[in-house]
Amino acid sequence: MSDNYTQIGKSVPRIDAFEKVTGQAKYTADIKFSNMLVGKLLLSPHAHARIISIDTSEAEKLPGVKAVITHKDVPSKRYGLSPARWDENIFCIDKVRYIGDKVAAVAAIDEETVYKALKLIKVDYEVLPAVFDAFEAMKEGAPQIFEEYPGNINTEIHQNFGDLDQAFKDAYYVRTDRYDGQRTYQCPLEPHATIAYWEGSKVTVYSSIQSVHYLQYYLSQVLDLKMGDVRVLKTYIGGGFGGKMDPSGLDFGAVILAKKTGRPVKMWFDREDMFFNNRGRHPQFMNITTGVTKEGKILGVHADFVMDGGAYTGLGIASAYYAGALLTILYDFENYKFDMLRVVTNLPGCGAQRGHGQPQPRYAFESHLDNIAEHLGIDPLEMRIINARKPGTLTVQGFRVDSYGLKEAMEKAREISGWRDKKGKLPQGRGIGMGNGGFVSGAGYAIYRTDLPHSVATIKVTDDGTSAILYTGAVEIGQGSDTVLCQMAAEAMGYRYEDMKIVAADTDLAAHDLGAYASRQTLMSGAAVKQAGEDVNKKILDTAAEIMGVSNEELDCRDGIVFVKSNPEITKTFAEVARTYFVKNGQLIGRGSYKPPKLGGVHKGSAVGTSPAYSAATQVAEVVIDEETGEIEVIEAWDVHDCGYVINPALLHGQVHGAFYMGMGEAIWEEVLFDKNGKLMNGNLAEYRLPTALDMPPVASELVDTVDPNAPWGVKEVGEGATTPTMGCISNAVYDAIGVRVKSLPFTYEKIWRAIKEKK
Amino acid sequence: MNLPDFDYYIPASLQDACALLAEKGPGAKVLAGGTDLLNKMKHELMAPEVLISLKKLDQLTSIDYVSGKGVVIGSMATHNAISNSSLLQEKYLSVCEAAQHMANNQVRNVGTIGGNIVNAVPSADLPPIFIALGALLTLVSTNGERVMPLEEFFTGPGKTHLAPDELLTGIVIPDNSFTGSTYIKFGLRRSGALAVVGVAVAVEMDRNICKDARIALGAVAPVPMRAKKAEAMMIGNAITDELLEQVGVCASTECNPISDIRGSEEYRRDMVRVFTKRALRKAINNGHV
Repeated sequence: MSDNYTQIGKSVPRIDAFEKVTGQAKYTADIKFSNMLVGKLLLSPHAHARIISIDTSEAEKLPGVKAVITHKDVPSKRYGLSPARWDENIFCIDKVRYIGDKVAAVAAIDEETVYKALKLIKVDYEVLPAVFDAFEAMKEGAPQIFEEYPGNINTEIHQNFGDLDQAFKDAYYVRTDRYDGQRTYQCPLEPHATIAYWEGSKVTVYSSIQSVHYLQYYLSQVLDLKMGDVRVLKTYIGGGFGGKMDPSGLDFGAVILAKKTGRPVKMWFDREDMFFNNRGRHPQFMNITTGVTKEGKILGVHADFVMDGGAYTGLGIASAYYAGALLTILYDFENYKFDMLRVVTNLPGCGAQRGHGQPQPRYAFESHLDNIAEHLGIDPLEMRIINARKPGTLTVQGFRVDSYGLKEAMEKAREISGWRDKKGKLPQGRGIGMGNGGFVSGAGYAIYRTDLPHSVATIKVTDDGTSAILYTGAVEIGQGSDTVLCQMAAEAMGYRYEDMKIVAADTDLAAHDLGAYASRQTLMSGAAVKQAGEDVNKKILDTAAEIMGVSNEELDCRDGIVFVKSNPEITKTFAEVARTYFVKNGQLIGRGSYKPPKLGGVHKGSAVGTSPAYSAATQVAEVVIDEETGEIEVIEAWDVHDCGYVINPALLHGQVHGAFYMGMGEAIWEEVLFDKNGKLMNGNLAEYRLPTALDMPPVASELVDTVDPNAPWGVKEVGEGATTPTMGCISNAVYDAIGVRVKSLPFTYEKIWRAIKEKK
Repeated sequence: MNLPDFDYYIPASLQDACALLAEKGPGAKVLAGGTDLLNKMKHELMAPEVLISLKKLDQLTSIDYVSGKGVVIGSMATHNAISNSSLLQEKYLSVCEAAQHMANNQVRNVGTIGGNIVNAVPSADLPPIFIALGALLTLVSTNGERVMPLEEFFTGPGKTHLAPDELLTGIVIPDNSFTGSTYIKFGLRRSGALAVVGVAVAVEMDRNICKDARIALGAVAPVPMRAKKAEAMMIGNAITDELLEQVGVCASTECNPISDIRGSEEYRRDMVRVFTKRALRKAINNGHV
């Protein structure tokens, strides 16, 4: 069937490749407006302190300073990306809650003046005791960070499905393992930046943000503006990975400073500021218990987790739910209990990092499954095959999983990695391991409660039909959505990708969309785009039928050519038909809109984890460990993904490589570190060690074919799912190599060295 | 991050540079590649009132062999200039290799050997190999020139014997009879990582007998240090795996590492053992200095 497609299923060049490769692409921080001021935030030097007073008078007197704002100058309404816990202010009012918390902002004529002015703001603090560890924070007598979170517990989840006690009674073997995750940060290459300017009562905001819709919504909510008066758009974005979802101090600061000064204001983060703003991965502390039959069939699972949320909630409540929700997708079991405490601490707030809440639990579960398989004397891959979910099934919480190729992915990974010849047979110091993962292809529900569609698309065919413009709110952040959506539009229209243009992620000029998160755009934005393309296609065929004197059912249109199906020699070009339509009917426009059907069960939190379609992935990695130093080298990796029908294979494999890279970084090198006073120790790219190109192994990326019935052309996600197996996969490879389990992320050389030493 | 205000001078001669340095006093700092200094200034760890740039002093970038003296490397030679120098590749390939494993390519293009030494960061990559090779420093001030062994130059982290009005102009590797040398940097990723442990060795072998050995350790003490007891175990003895292991153990007890975010004291000590052994083995087998 895919052979009939002319625009999709092909590795066409990216629509933005030329601009990016030649350096013409302008990112937000590159943009200049005449008369533009620059602004910076003043951040808290204390981890927990009461604000006694703020004196901005000296800063205001400095020549070149145009505005200084504190909490007194801005609305006091609290916000947070998830509406379930609005606990953050634009600027701190009564107290600061971590080193890096937002206290004030300055706008001035140049950068130099801004930095000088920041130093002139005098803030009197009464330093309070602070707490930096989730377990310490829950103890009696611990410093209370928020009045509304007694015991510093911000979110408490207790879900119970089936009869776990009975399952454990029936089990041949019940095992508990504890694994700990670490705090990581996304580190997108492009630092966040925002530019805002006002025209009368209307404000325009350029932001490096993953969702223009949510930023528009939150700016209007917190600043009490009409949504229609807030225009949010973006230019090029250099990566997000979840770190550019939340509205930041830059967005609020620039809008308010621009209002106050009547001039455009640009604000941006330095690399260290990005670590303060954070919204990276929550560290999770995971007890996991599983009961299995003698054959390795999983009967029940208890996930008992604690997560450190840092100072604010942001999207963290969703992270907490995701941590448990998705554990049930991969393997089919009937009994499941999920307990979670999300705890606030005096550290930067955590959020949604690639795989959202799930990669660390997957690391725990995949490591745990290998332990069980070893105890039972079963090959861990074969044990997973026994348990792999089948297509067209419901999880214990009521998530419907239609297409699902996990079993096939494992079988293919087993073959291409040489698993059977290697597992348990490699020399000491060398090991192979596998892990599974996957993700939602878009969340079933928006982040805040709304009946809006999730994605809308409009296609305008230009007057003479020689180009068409796709209007979408989908956000290109580097993953390739502009390219993929234009391929989809062209395919549905019967048009050519090369003749497509795109206007995306502009709340005034483009169309509505919830944006780039939860791996949603290929499926959800794609669904709206497909409809819009089909709408155009129908109008073209109707018009062509009139011109050609045949019925529209006799016609088809592909690759920009309308032809009679029974006699493809008889043709009209799409362009001439489109021109005729324009002359007779006005602008040729196609419209599409997508909202997922009602999904999920009825339990509390049942919305998190729902999706029209679930991807599945198996990864295998081979490692070599220097047993004297603990240095670990990943020498080769294999990823087999079930991501439904593939629109652009080159972009897809790029996502797999990037996701593996990111997961490998979290597995071995990356950890955000603080000293005993909560001061950030490694907010830079020298000491926050992302892997380099030299650390990256060759990755074989392969696919299994599924076509999901709930998705346009059967597409599913790839961007986040491919990060979820990696940490577990490397954990298992390390164990295979040295015969001892490192029970916390990351597997630093020193931890491995210590584990080997303790084994001896 | 922003640079604080400072006055900026670009002297055209060494004499002018020294005069300026003497005139401006301790508030002045010398700017070479700036990879360390400007970064510290942006982070407000240092706020010199005056920067004296050496960028017009072309004579300080040369790398030459001066007969009777040895190889003379100008203090303004960049890491990449050192790593690509055909003279050094021929005579001291180990120095080129050490320079090549410094930081990342961008830093290697502007960072200088003089800056690397004068900054006196305990984990710096180049001092250990130069110390192992017995290098001398040329220090110049308005009062004239003096020569000091690099090994004696450092007094603590960020501290040296350099007088406030003195400039480091060159590093001299005197002629010697070493048959092999090497520097092994152990960092926590393949590139762009500071050394957790750096081990440089130079050996003079007569078949299997070690006639001379120098072991210099980086990142495991307040200053780059020689492991002299370990060296003594080598000299005059036939080399065996057992001996190298013992030498490694000895070096690990001689060093004085701290625990920090890159590694614990215990780990660093054991890495000194491992990499002293490996560096010696490599230098003995290398066949080049």
